[in-house]
Amino acid sequence: MSHEVEILLVDDSPEDVELTIIALRRNNLSNDIQVAEDGAEALDFLFCRGPHKDRSFSHPPKLVLLDLKLPKVDGLEVLRAIRADERTKAIPVVILTSSKEQRDLIDGYNLGVSAYIQKPVDFDQFSETIRQVGMFWLLINQAPPAGAFVARKARGV
Amino acid sequence: MSFASKVIAACALMILLGIGVLSFRSTLRDERDREWVTHTHVVVESLEEILIDINQAETGQRGYILTGDADYRKPFEEGTQNVHRDIEKFRELTTDNPSQQEAARRLQPLIAARLAGLVERMEIRSRSGLVAASRAVASGNNGEELMEKIRERVGEMRETEDRLLRIRLEEASASSQRMKTVIVVGNAVGIFILLLAGFVIHRETGRRNLAEQNLMHINERLERRTLELSETNHELESFSYSVAHDLRAPLRQIAGYSNLLNRDYGPKLDAEMQRYLHKIEEGAAKMGRLVDDLLSLSKIGRQQLSLEATPLDSLLRQAVDELAPECSGREVEWRIGGLFSTECDAGLMKQVFVNLLSNAVKYTRKREHAVIEVGQMRQNDTRVIFVRDNGAGFEMQYVGKLFGVFQRLHKARDFEGTGVGLAIVQRIIRKHGGDIWAEAELDQGATFYFTLGWPQNDAKKSNTNGKPESAITNEVYSVARS
Repeated sequence: MSHEVEILLVDDSPEDVELTIIALRRNNLSNDIQVAEDGAEALDFLFCRGPHKDRSFSHPPKLVLLDLKLPKVDGLEVLRAIRADERTKAIPVVILTSSKEQRDLIDGYNLGVSAYIQKPVDFDQFSETIRQVGMFWLLINQAPPAGAFVARKARGV
Repeated sequence: MSFASKVIAACALMILLGIGVLSFRSTLRDERDREWVTHTHVVVESLEEILIDINQAETGQRGYILTGDADYRKPFEEGTQNVHRDIEKFRELTTDNPSQQEAARRLQPLIAARLAGLVERMEIRSRSGLVAASRAVASGNNGEELMEKIRERVGEMRETEDRLLRIRLEEASASSQRMKTVIVVGNAVGIFILLLAGFVIHRETGRRNLAEQNLMHINERLERRTLELSETNHELESFSYSVAHDLRAPLRQIAGYSNLLNRDYGPKLDAEMQRYLHKIEEGAAKMGRLVDDLLSLSKIGRQQLSLEATPLDSLLRQAVDELAPECSGREVEWRIGGLFSTECDAGLMKQVFVNLLSNAVKYTRKREHAVIEVGQMRQNDTRVIFVRDNGAGFEMQYVGKLFGVFQRLHKARDFEGTGVGLAIVQRIIRKHGGDIWAEAELDQGATFYFTLGWPQNDAKKSNTNGKPESAITNEVYSVARS
């Protein structure tokens, strides 16, 4: 294992990925970013399977930035899977999407999303939003102790 | 019930009433005729009795003459008394008949003479004995002659009565015939009317059933149409939402990459390149605003109103406060009159004020001293809120385009905007059952009027050309300067 992944960015648009990474980099938050281009890739990474079978549950990403419209498995399905599993349910998931549809907002919060953000069109505003989200979840927020949820799982809870 | 069946019912009622009256009258008449017949019989009987009385008197006289026994005077006297009584009775019974009265008057002296003759012979008997009396009887004087005349007269009188009886019997039988006819015809008419009524009711019921069936079909069709329309409407709203939504993604890329290009390579670009780049950024920003406005317009279309009693005053003040940044550095005079409270969706109503006031602020930008006035007035029992400014106004010939989506009455160079703001205002007002309209003159400012709640009459627009100032209920303005 080379380094711990801090952000899992789930978005199928390469341009949006690039702009998000640039915004993160601009705000010095670009250390360890893993990109998943669809929901299936994101689940492989989070549940340590397929190409990521050597990963360990004891080092989950500190933040998942999740788009809703995704190929294969959509964002809300990914969120549902994360919240349904004891080993991943504590991971902060922030929905970052173009949609401000009420249905999506309600479904997101019903499934236990940590925050819901509509991507601003203006790049300066977008960059500022990314900075605030990154600062809060990576620096201000206290993550649970490493391995806490995995250990519980091992005890058979 | 149709007009025709009402007429038939009225006729039927009249006819039945008529039949009732006729039957009643026939019965009365029949009864009277019968009484008359009876009366005639009584009269005839009294005539018979007169003859019997005379005979009785004569029989008594004869007995006395033969026997000289005073007992025979008694039947004589009874007959005499009775004959007077019965004549009197006859006269009473025939008071209505002058000819019979006359006949009775002529009969009386004959009877009196006859009775006098009897008395005379009885006196001869008592004075001179049987022989003298028998001789007197045998000489006969004129006793038999008188009696013959009496019988004749009574016979004539009886004939008169018999004639009357025949006439009355005929009349009675005719009226009884008439009564039968009235009853038979009346019943026939009654039955006919009943049948007619039954037929009419049957036909009306049939018609009504048919009409009800038609109505049900129409209702079903209407329900289907409504469903189709609401589906279409929903599809359209979803379509415009997803278009607006999907437009944002590429837009973000244009905005994002031109921003990066400017930031990272700006210094290396010459002035013309930078101008082009600036235009791209401006375009993206404008499209962003358009898309956002479209999204809120379509959202209002789909949104359910959450109604609560709301003081419009406080919404207005919040809107004015929100606009403070746009007014900074300008001289804007707010004239705020009191507004009523009403049931409305507070969030949406605040947007109405924000949009109308930000328009007023925008279009007075070129005035040194901007005046924006908000108040309420009463028009044909409807409360109307107005927002007036002394800004750029517009030509009234274009007023029809004012509330259309993407419709603008000013060049973007003069006043920026997406042309969605007033469409949103109109949609919110209409959702509240109100109406909005405007009056303006180019360069003389504009006034927007709106009502809330479903109108009680349709004539509310008839009077807007007058001076609304005169109708302002709250004359005192609070004047604030920004």
